Amino acid sequence: MNFLKRIIDVRGWKRASKTAAIVIMAAVALLAALSWVNVSEEEMLQSASEEMQEIIRQEEASSRKYVTVTYNSFGFIKYLSFSTSGAKAVKETYIAFAGQVYPADTGFLKFIGQMVNYTYRMLGSGQNILHGVKLTILLTTLSMVIGSILSIFLALGKISKNKFISKISSAYVFFFRGTPLLIQLFVIYFSVPVIFGFSWRGLFAIGDTEAVYKGAFLAALIAFSLNAAAYCAEIVRAAIQSIDKGQGEAAKALGMTYGQTMRHIIIPQSIRRMIPPLCNEFVMMIKDVSLVFAISLMDITTISKTIMTSEGNYLVFFPALVIYLIITAIFTFLFGKIEKRLSVYE
Amino acid sequence: MSENKAKKGITGKQILIIVIALVVIAGAIWGILALTGKKEEVSGMLMQEGVLNVGMEIGYPPFEEFAEDGTTPIGYDVDFAKALGEKMGLEINFVNTAWDGIFLGIGENYDVVISAVTITEERKETMLFSDPYINNYQAVVVAADYDGEITGFLDLDGMVIAVQKETTSDILMSDYKDTATIDITISANEKIATCFTQLKNGEVDAVVVDSTVAVVYAASNPDAYKVAFEDESEPEQFGIAIGLTNTALQTAINEAIAKLTVEGFFTENTAFWFGAE
Repeated sequence: MNFLKRIIDVRGWKRASKTAAIVIMAAVALLAALSWVNVSEEEMLQSASEEMQEIIRQEEASSRKYVTVTYNSFGFIKYLSFSTSGAKAVKETYIAFAGQVYPADTGFLKFIGQMVNYTYRMLGSGQNILHGVKLTILLTTLSMVIGSILSIFLALGKISKNKFISKISSAYVFFFRGTPLLIQLFVIYFSVPVIFGFSWRGLFAIGDTEAVYKGAFLAALIAFSLNAAAYCAEIVRAAIQSIDKGQGEAAKALGMTYGQTMRHIIIPQSIRRMIPPLCNEFVMMIKDVSLVFAISLMDITTISKTIMTSEGNYLVFFPALVIYLIITAIFTFLFGKIEKRLSVYE
Repeated sequence: MSENKAKKGITGKQILIIVIALVVIAGAIWGILALTGKKEEVSGMLMQEGVLNVGMEIGYPPFEEFAEDGTTPIGYDVDFAKALGEKMGLEINFVNTAWDGIFLGIGENYDVVISAVTITEERKETMLFSDPYINNYQAVVVAADYDGEITGFLDLDGMVIAVQKETTSDILMSDYKDTATIDITISANEKIATCFTQLKNGEVDAVVVDSTVAVVYAASNPDAYKVAFEDESEPEQFGIAIGLTNTALQTAINEAIAKLTVEGFFTENTAFWFGAE
């Protein structure tokens, strides 16, 4: 409730936040206005040249499809291209901006068009959750959540006085930190199904055309979670052990059991100390997730590689870098906020 | 002191119980996975009734690549697969796969692989092949301003060569190198485009690649590349890779290929993708 009040109390805001809010609102308003005046898809499609329209008409009669119509819309800027395939490829591209359609086959406009097209594809726009940025964020977040939960058990296991549990936990951490993530991914995707006699695709309905990708996603999620658990376990262990021993002893003197001490005294305090290294681990994970190219999931990296292969354009890596930076910036900002809120009690 | 010990004991037990519970849950999940996995195995020659699932590394132009919308596969093999599906009365579902491990997925993730796969004796031990559908040679591509002459692979002596990993070009060049026939350095890349960029940037001296691909790259970038040599003495053939025991599917596919040949599909498809011969 207090948090809401603070947001509503605009006068109490810091000067910097006010400026930021105004800039963001102005930008949103400008983009909305530009989208409002922009041409529709139907209008854009009519800009195709006579020659191209003739090809499209011919194609409607034949059973083979040669022309690919690509329409990428960000609202304020739209990209449309007609491309035929084969040895004699014909291509026409257009950009719509502020209510005007411009041909974009050469020069600067061509560059802008390419950037719009690449960004659109890397964001996975118009496709399901298993594409582009959506896949990267989903996989990173889920792996980190599952990984951190597992890591608490691993960390407690590692500092446990029971030799057996402590050895098992240490061995787990040693194994997952001591082998490359890519090989762990290969083992889980390729070897595990052979050993246990199942297939990742078989876990989903046979008629589902996306089943292969869902299976690969599940395998990747398991691999990344297990790996993240090992790294987070060390972070958690260090945080728990950094809490002054006197606290545990005081709790014991008050008659608390080990479980109560951990739940009420040690872990709440150590969480604060875990946040900065966990944030670091999260940011690392965003980039580690790009390894899914090896099992053909279409994340930002795979999509940029695909574009590079078919168009031979190495500029494609720049939008990819920008997208990664934006994701990292957003998560760093969020973690910074959490850290600040928790440090109030320090 | 004794109370302390007692507490430690309880702690250990609790954690032990949690670990055992986790192991049991994990075991149960594996069990369920294993069971469902077996149940899904459809008897018959296809994984899925009425659909031919085609494994393809979509990133090998002009055989297979994504169109600009990022979702439509296009290319020689794509058209071939569609025509095949039409002849066999099956719907075609393309499954995009990384080239590494592509053959492991036959029968698991897709029924067949149509992805510019060269028929080799070695591969025949682990999979069936359809009748060949296109002929291909190994070709050497050099930078357009290269003024030496290459009349055979022996002329590559002392050069740095780029090949795509685990392709027949890679196997051929590794053979030459391992037998010490010629002294070359091999840069094995995951994507064929990387090989050509390495050549353009001067990282390597030549690219060894399928002639069908070489011709298209050289034709679309005449300022950068030229085909120096095609080894016509050893033709290679592309075929559809099928599961080792799936002879029924092999027969059906071969019948469809025979029909397509009679109808002149291959002549037309080759002319469309590689230009008229």
